[in-house]
Amino acid sequence: MSAALPGVRDPALLIAVFALWALLALFVVYPLTMLFARILTDHGAFTTTGIVAVLTDKHQIRAFWNSLLLALLVGGWGTALGFLFAFTATRARLPRTLLWAIDAAVLLPLVSPPFTTAIAMIFSFGPRGLVTYHVLGLKGVTVYGLASTLASEVLTYFPIAYLTLRPLLAAIDSNIEGMASSLGASRWRVFRTVTVPLCIPGLANAFLLLFAASLADFATPLILAGNQFPVLPTQAYLQITGLFDLRGGAALSFVLLVPALAVFLLQRYWVSRRFYVTITGKGAGQAPFDSLAPAIRTTLLAACACVALVIVYFYALLLYASVVVALGANHAFTLQHYRVIFTDGLKAIRDTLIIAAFAMPLGGFYGVLLGYLVTKRAFIGRRTMELVSMINYALPGTIVGIAYLIAFNDPPIELSGTALIIIACYVFRYGPTGIRATVAQLQQIDKSLEEASQGLGAGSSTTFRRITLPLILPAFFAGLGVVFIRSMTAISATIFLVSISWSLITVKILENITELSLGPAAAFSVLVVVIVFVVIALVGRVLRLFHAPGAVPVTSLLGC
Amino acid sequence: MTITPHWLRRGSRVFAVLTFAAASFFGAIPARAAETVNVYSIWPENWARPMFEEFEKATGVKVNFVRFSSGEALARVIAEKNNPRVDVLFGGPVETFAAGINEGLFESYKPPSFAVLPARFKQADGQWVAIADDPLVFMTNEKFLKENGLKAPASWNDLLAPPYRNMLQMADARTSGTAVTRIFSILEVNGRDENKAFDYMKKLRPNVQLYTKSGGGGTLPVGLGQAGGGIFFIVDALDTKAKGYDVSISFPKEGIGTAAEGIALIKGAKNPELGKKLIDWASSPAMQNQFAKYKVNFVPAHPDVKIEPSLAEVLKGAKIFPIDAEYAGANRKRIVDRWVAEVLNP
Repeated sequence: MSAALPGVRDPALLIAVFALWALLALFVVYPLTMLFARILTDHGAFTTTGIVAVLTDKHQIRAFWNSLLLALLVGGWGTALGFLFAFTATRARLPRTLLWAIDAAVLLPLVSPPFTTAIAMIFSFGPRGLVTYHVLGLKGVTVYGLASTLASEVLTYFPIAYLTLRPLLAAIDSNIEGMASSLGASRWRVFRTVTVPLCIPGLANAFLLLFAASLADFATPLILAGNQFPVLPTQAYLQITGLFDLRGGAALSFVLLVPALAVFLLQRYWVSRRFYVTITGKGAGQAPFDSLAPAIRTTLLAACACVALVIVYFYALLLYASVVVALGANHAFTLQHYRVIFTDGLKAIRDTLIIAAFAMPLGGFYGVLLGYLVTKRAFIGRRTMELVSMINYALPGTIVGIAYLIAFNDPPIELSGTALIIIACYVFRYGPTGIRATVAQLQQIDKSLEEASQGLGAGSSTTFRRITLPLILPAFFAGLGVVFIRSMTAISATIFLVSISWSLITVKILENITELSLGPAAAFSVLVVVIVFVVIALVGRVLRLFHAPGAVPVTSLLGC
Repeated sequence: MTITPHWLRRGSRVFAVLTFAAASFFGAIPARAAETVNVYSIWPENWARPMFEEFEKATGVKVNFVRFSSGEALARVIAEKNNPRVDVLFGGPVETFAAGINEGLFESYKPPSFAVLPARFKQADGQWVAIADDPLVFMTNEKFLKENGLKAPASWNDLLAPPYRNMLQMADARTSGTAVTRIFSILEVNGRDENKAFDYMKKLRPNVQLYTKSGGGGTLPVGLGQAGGGIFFIVDALDTKAKGYDVSISFPKEGIGTAAEGIALIKGAKNPELGKKLIDWASSPAMQNQFAKYKVNFVPAHPDVKIEPSLAEVLKGAKIFPIDAEYAGANRKRIVDRWVAEVLNP
C-alpha cells in the first residue's frame, strides 16, 4: 500500500489533499468556529449561562427526543420505500416507458422547493381537506403532528434512498443470484441471503442520508408539526428568529451534531465489516436471474404505483394552484401568476440559474475527488477529512447559514452579499451526497479488477479511465444532480445568505407564502420543477454520448 | 501502483479553475450607485415596493431592498453588526425594534415628525419612530359561521363557543409580536388581573388548532376554511379579504389592542444621510398619505394623515386601545414564559 506520507511519491495527491483541507478549513471549520466563538462569548467575556438554560429546558429536551424519533422513522420508512422502488425498477423487467414514468414521479419531490408537499398535505388532509372533508366527510380532523410530518418527510426524502440504492441493485452481478438459485435456493431465500446483504452498504448509506436530512429539515415541521410535536431544528430556528436568541439557537443546533455523527460512525464501522464486492469482472454476460414471481411482481408494481399516484396528485394540485386566481376562493383560469414571476421575479430566476450553474460542476468534482481520495488512497487524516466533509450536510441549514453570515461578513474574508458565499454553501452542504455516492460505489469495486487491468499492461491512468472512472461516473452525476437540484430548491441556509445583489427563487416562494400569494408561489414552484427536469434531461443526453460499456447507465440515475 | 491517475490531476485542475473563475466573477462586491439607500424591509414586498418607488420619485434616491420576516431581518442585522450591509430597517412591529435596542443595533435619529408623534409612536432617544399603527381584529370564515349558525364573534367569550373547538388558529407568543399584542389585550380587558386572563386563555386552548409561527400564518387557513377563525392584525385580515377569500372581520366589545410599526437607522450605516432622508420621508405624511392609494391597510401614525375611508368604516365603533409600552416591556418575558408553561404546554 502507499506510504503514509503521500508527497514523496505522488505530488498530485499531496496537492489535492492540501487543497481539499484548505477548502474544508475555510468553508466548514472556520465558519463553525466563528459561530462557536459567538455562542460562548458575550461582549468579549466567556459565558455559558444562556446555553445551559436552553439545553436544560424540558421542552427542548422533549424536542430533541422528538427529532431523533422522527429522523429514525423517516430513515427507516424512507429507506424501505426507496428500496421498494429501486428493487422494482431493477428487477421487475419494466418496459422503458413505465420505468421513465416511475423515475419522473419519484424525482418530483426531490426537485421541488420546500413547503410544497407540506402544503399539499394540509390542502388534502386538513380539517377542510380535499380528501378528509370533501371526499370522506370527516370533521374536526387534526393534520398537525407526527404522522403528517413523517408522511411528508418520507415522501420528500425517499428519492434520495432510491437514487442511492438503484445503481447498487443494478450493479449486483445477477450471476451471483442466479448461482444461488441454481444451488436450490428459493427466490425469497436468494433475496434474503444474497440480494439484501449485498445492498447493506447502500441501505446504510440511504438510512444515513435520510436520517441526516430529516434531522436538519425545518421547513416541513414548521408547517406540519404543530404544537404537540416540536422538533429541534424548528425550535432552533424559532429561538433565533422568534426569541432573537442566536446563542441559544446555535447551541440547540449543535446538539443535533451528536446524533448525526453517532449514526455516521456507526454506519462506517458496521458497514465496513461486511463483504460486498460484486463487480469482479469475472464471467459476465449470462442470462440475467429471474428474481421475481409474477404475483410478487404485480404486488410490487401496485405498491409503487400507489405511492407514485399520491405524489402525482400532490403536484397536480400545485399546478392547479398556479393557474387559478386564488385556490379555495376563486377557481377562474388565469396566467397572471406566471406573468408576475417573469416580471417582478425575473431577477431571482436569473440569479438562481447563474448560481446553480456554477455550484453544479464544482459540487460534482468536489464530491468525486473527496470520495475517491478517502476510499482508495491512504493518507494521514483520511477519516477525519471524510467526517469534516459531512458536517455542513448534517447541521441544520439555519445554523450553516448563520455561521457563514457571521464568518464571512467581516474582514479578512468578506463574502457577504456575493454569489460566491451562496455557491460555497451549496458545494459544501450538498457535495457530501456525491461523496457518499462515490464511497458506496467504490466499495463495490474489487481491487482485483484494477489489478487485472494493470497486470495486463495498462498504465494506471488507462486503468482509471477504462475501469474505475466508468464505475464512479454514476456517483459523479448523482452528486452533480443533487447539487443542482438543491441549488434550485434549498432555503434553510440560504435565506441568510441572499442579499440585495443576489436573490433566489426559493426565498421568493417563502415570501409569497407569507404574503398569502399562493398563486405566484405555486407558479414559481412549477417553474423550478420544469427547469430541473429540463436541465437533467439535457445532462442525460450529453451523458449518453460518453456512455461507457459495462457501467451502470448513468442517465437512468437521473430519471431520463 | 498508487500513482495518481490522470483524471484526478485534470479533475483537480478543472476544479481549481472553476473555483478561481467563480471567485473572481462573483467575489468582487458590486459597485453601488451613489444615491442608493440599502434597506431590509419587514413589510411584504407588495406594500414596500410602491412606497420605495414613491420615495425615489420624490427624492431621486433609489431604494435597494430585500424583504425578510421580522425575526430573520433582526438576526441578520445582529450578525452583520460589525460591518452593516444596510442603512435602514423598515417596518415590522416595534417589539422587533425593542429587541434590536438591547443588541445595540440602532443609531438615534429624530426626524422632523418626531415632535408631533404621540409618545407611543417613538422611542424616547429616537432609536426608532413609528410609521404606522396596526390594530388586532377577529377574522372568521363566513362559510364556517353559516354552517354552525354563528354570528361573527363580538366578544372574547364568543370564541369559547363549542363550534370553535379545534378550529381556531392564532400566533405563537414565542415568535410573534401579534401573539404578544393579543395576550396583552386579554390582560387589559381583564383589568390586568393575570389569573383571570390566564383562566380565559386556558379555556380557549382546546379551541386552538394551531399556534402559528408568524402573526399572519393563520390567515390563509382561515380564508380556506381549514380553520374557522383567529385573531390577526388588521392589515393581514384585510389582505385576506382583498385576495377574494370569504372572511368576516369583527371586534370584541370589550376592546382589543393595537401595535405600532417602526423604522430605524442602523448603527454604522454606510449611507447614514440617505437613511435619514428615508426616515424623514417615511415618518411624515409624504409616505403615509400614500397608504390609501396602494391599498396598504395600516392606520397612519402621523396625526396629520387621515385614515382611508373604507378602513375607517371597518374600524368604526371598534373599541381599540394601545398596549402600554412600559407595562408590556416590564412584564413581557414573564408573561410569555407563563403562557408557554400554562397555556401552550400545560
